[in-house]
Amino acid sequence: MDEVLRQVAEMITEVVGPDFLLGVEITRDTTFSDDLGLESIEFVALADKLNAHYGVDLVAFLADMDIDEIMAMSVGRLVDHITARV
Amino acid sequence: MSRFLFVVPPLTGHVNPTASVGGELLARGHEVAWVGHPGTLAPLLPDDAVVFPAIDDLLEADIRTKRERWLALRGMAVVKFFWEEFLIPLGHAMVPGVADAVREFAPDVVVADQQALAGPLVAGHAGLPWVTSASTSAELINPLRTMPKVDAWVRDLLHGFAGGDIRFSDRLVLVYSSAALVAGEFGEEVAFVGPALTHRVERVEFPWHRLTGGRRVLVSLGTLNGPAGERFLNQVLEAVADLDVQVIMVAEPRPCPPNVLMLPSVPQLALMPHLDAVITHGGHNTVCEALAHGLPLVVAPIRDDQPTVAAQVVAAGAGVRLTYSRARAADVRSALESVLDEPEYAAAAELVRESFLAAGGATAAADRLEKVVAG
Repeated sequence: MDEVLRQVAEMITEVVGPDFLLGVEITRDTTFSDDLGLESIEFVALADKLNAHYGVDLVAFLADMDIDEIMAMSVGRLVDHITARV
Repeated sequence: MSRFLFVVPPLTGHVNPTASVGGELLARGHEVAWVGHPGTLAPLLPDDAVVFPAIDDLLEADIRTKRERWLALRGMAVVKFFWEEFLIPLGHAMVPGVADAVREFAPDVVVADQQALAGPLVAGHAGLPWVTSASTSAELINPLRTMPKVDAWVRDLLHGFAGGDIRFSDRLVLVYSSAALVAGEFGEEVAFVGPALTHRVERVEFPWHRLTGGRRVLVSLGTLNGPAGERFLNQVLEAVADLDVQVIMVAEPRPCPPNVLMLPSVPQLALMPHLDAVITHGGHNTVCEALAHGLPLVVAPIRDDQPTVAAQVVAAGAGVRLTYSRARAADVRSALESVLDEPEYAAAAELVRESFLAAGGATAAADRLEKVVAG
């Protein structure tokens, strides 16, 4: 498994709490909206972690997307963005 | 004396503040009318209120069905559905009825709820001044500001509907909150009048004899949405089962511990003075009604403006926030015990209460509306 994907999956698990991911394996195709149902406060917590770890600004990353792109935002797309930046 | 027309969507929380402000205007001798869904308005307004129809029962039922689908959505899909499937179509549907009401009632001012887009459109065509009744304070600071492309998409929709961004009036925006909750710099047209609670009509009965002594907590979660709603409600029931409090829970009947009084609806405003804390999903009305009574809150926001409202409560120090889809019984219990037992939460809620009192409520709103007529 890609190292960045592994780390991002770990951050998501920390933010959401491991109990709630039982049976959900985080892959590149996992979407933030539909699959993870990330709540706004969890989203902020994840953004903080990404910023601390990679210096990546999640809000700025999303600022460039239209509504359909945000709805379809997947873990893989975030991983690619991070990989391209670091 | 002047004539005021309130334009409202078929949603209780959006009608309630207008019932109060309209009641105050009526008490001052003005003429007041409402236009919207008569079936939704009737229980919330005085018997002799003047109501014009803009939404028939069929459309209202259709909106409720759509709402069910909407409640199952998450994330940005909620925003897309809200604008494309709800707000814009509702705006179009209400235009003929609002236009008829404007012709017949000939108002001096149109007061449009921020989710009744037909109000500004029709008022604009008729050359009438229109003002905004902001049923939530969460959108005064544009929640889409960090997503410029999504914001542009919303502005395009509004341009297609009305030829401009009609989200807020540049003449007057009535906000039923105060600076104690809403941080930021706003123009002079934005009037923080605090919750409008006078003249309100509550026709729901309540079994007052079933209130026991000791501390009481209201649990008001709005329309329960699907499995996540059932899950949260069950966590609350488990959390309170062995607590020494009486819980008044607004929900359809189901098995519950003996200290829980389960009712499908309650006269929420009348109940407030009998409570010690409120657990809610963070609807703007419920939160501000609780704070207007100095009650601390446990807020578990679900969607829309609720995360922003929850953040306001936490920032004011008047409550604890929970994660709706994931909070456990132990989390609910610890949050509830905190707001009940740690006096700083009630003290912070009391500060918000004082700021609301100073804001003036329906009286201040009516003063501002009279000034719009005076020009």
